[in-house]
Amino acid sequence: MRLVMEKRSETPLWLMVVSPLIAVGLPVLAAIIMFTLLGKDPARALYVYFIDPISDSWGLQEVAVKATPLVLIALGLAVCYRANVWNIGAEGQFLLGAMAGGWLAVITHGSTQGPWLLPAMMMLGALAGACWALIPGVLRTRFGANEILTSLMLVYVAEYLLDYLVRGPWRDPGGFNMPQTVIFEPEAVLPLLMEGGRLNIGTPIMLVMVVAFAILMGRTLKGFEIRLVGEAPRAARFAGFSEKGLVLTVFAISGALAGLAGMLEAAGTVKQLQPGISPGYGFTAIIVAFLGRLNPVGCLVAGIFIAITFIGGENAQIMLRLPLDATRVLQGLLLFFVLACDSLLLYRFRFVREARA
Amino acid sequence: MNITRRQTLTGASALAGTAIGAEQAAAQSALNVGFILIGPVGDFGWSTMHDVGRRRMESVLGNRVTSTQVEAVAPPDFDRVATQLVRTGCRLIFTTSFSYFAPTQRVAAANPNVMWESATGTATAANLAIYNARFYEGRYVQGVIAARKSRSKTIGYVATFPVPEVIHAINTVMRGAWSVDPSIRIRVVWISAWFNPGREADAARALIDQGCDVICQHTDSPAPLQLAEQRGNVFGFGQASDMTRFAPRAHLTSSINSWGDYYVSRARAVLDGSWRPADTWGGLGSGMFSLAAFTNMTPEEVSEATRIRDALAAGTLHPFDGPITRADGTLVIPAGQRLTDDQIRAQNYFYQGIDVAMP
Repeated sequence: MRLVMEKRSETPLWLMVVSPLIAVGLPVLAAIIMFTLLGKDPARALYVYFIDPISDSWGLQEVAVKATPLVLIALGLAVCYRANVWNIGAEGQFLLGAMAGGWLAVITHGSTQGPWLLPAMMMLGALAGACWALIPGVLRTRFGANEILTSLMLVYVAEYLLDYLVRGPWRDPGGFNMPQTVIFEPEAVLPLLMEGGRLNIGTPIMLVMVVAFAILMGRTLKGFEIRLVGEAPRAARFAGFSEKGLVLTVFAISGALAGLAGMLEAAGTVKQLQPGISPGYGFTAIIVAFLGRLNPVGCLVAGIFIAITFIGGENAQIMLRLPLDATRVLQGLLLFFVLACDSLLLYRFRFVREARA
Repeated sequence: MNITRRQTLTGASALAGTAIGAEQAAAQSALNVGFILIGPVGDFGWSTMHDVGRRRMESVLGNRVTSTQVEAVAPPDFDRVATQLVRTGCRLIFTTSFSYFAPTQRVAAANPNVMWESATGTATAANLAIYNARFYEGRYVQGVIAARKSRSKTIGYVATFPVPEVIHAINTVMRGAWSVDPSIRIRVVWISAWFNPGREADAARALIDQGCDVICQHTDSPAPLQLAEQRGNVFGFGQASDMTRFAPRAHLTSSINSWGDYYVSRARAVLDGSWRPADTWGGLGSGMFSLAAFTNMTPEEVSEATRIRDALAAGTLHPFDGPITRADGTLVIPAGQRLTDDQIRAQNYFYQGIDVAMP
């Protein structure tokens, strides 16, 4: 006997209704049990975790700031994964974007530039991310190398490149030898959108991208091509679509978005380059993309959800005095339940009796 | 005057009422103190000892203070965490890493009604104090002990970032070692982290493979010391807390940080309105840190180390007396002079005889 997971040909109606309820109910139940065991009032804890981060303008702005890079990267990854192209290296493309954008900010430091600076930094960031992503793309189309491995390994190359730059040529001369660049000049920093918070123009840019990709994937021939190559490569070939061209296109798109996200993060939130500039956004965005079911609007919702759990975890440390690890356990439980329920919706488990030889 | 039962009852409840009122007032006026830690409280080193200090502050000041602590905050997340602490009512916030110093300056300027204290820093402001301990005094003692224990005449040093705090520590270890044996050499591995047990152990392994048989560490976990224990015939020093139990056969001494009294005095100063920005740099004599009991040493070695520790605490021995010559041969100060605190804090060069590249 063995257990196999097979795709449901159709999802029964009752499951479609019950599954989201379970997906919300089980994690909440798990959270209540955990908070009770830790001796905290579950109602207040749930409030601090999920409601407080979105209960006022400052909190909403922080959620938006946290969600922006996640959603941007996930949008590009969703396009890749739809086309059955496995770009795991968004973290590296993110760092390359941050470096390329940051390079312009560092070399123009101390001199006055015009309003061209920020748009140029964004272009450079996106371009660098796209070029970095095209490396595994070309390796796959030209040599048949597995893009999962090559894109992942280029993450480490990117990390060490950033490490070298902020330690060597770009190090802040007044920074007591810490591995970081100068703090960017005000004109190389993303303008804030309102008083009393950190919301910057990165978030509207991200929202525009969500709309653009919803249209691209849902309403254009290119979007159809991407989905067709992913779901029915043979049919796509008959339709005359070039698979190689498409692999390069989706790699370039997702690299450009990750690069843009990296530049926005460097110029918006961190305001300088340093090795710890990304707390793993490129990897978390993979979860966001799948949580959003590889759909642009879904990615937006999933990105906001992950951002809330992250900030909620911090809030729980501050307001409930929960230890860091307890908040991480809860975040892990949430993701586990949501993804597990999702799988149950699309797949079913069956015991298969194996024929004996 | 007749006191009726009713009056007595009213009086009693009024008394009870004031007592409850006072308790509520105390709870309301309790000072909320925030702590932002660079590592997890369970690092057994730097962050653990700040947590110990925080708990001591709570136990001494009782219900006059409460505290809120956030662990393992990455520098890019610092602004949000610090702002959230201010928003939840913290009026005194300790930020416990040099990596937080620049962001602390930024957030302190934006929140003038909150008092900020940065553990290590280079400048104060109207609402920003800096505090640190003269850990280099402990490094000097480590150098002396290392020179006595090393048979290969080579000391290994697991270093973090090439900031002045680490550079002057390496310089001082060698000063101490040369006071015993001028032929001692040092090797350094930079791991670019304050806490990363895996990389710390790798660095210690590389140093031991290169012939180092006494390992000093500037990183916060017991990993290098544990590796020394595992290898055998290699000695090491604990960092920040008493790490004897992690390496009963390899441990020589530990530098034990003790922030509790400082936290008590600063919180008390905010409570009674006497808080002023200050630049505190306490040595062995101040109680801000001490050395753990010497282990795995002969009685002669123990008495020598004790004598030097006491001389440093009393101020009769000073590790930054001239002459001091840079690695490139230029003279910094001649004999008879001593580096000022600002010069020590800005030290970004190795002494002559230390052949170590800055990363």
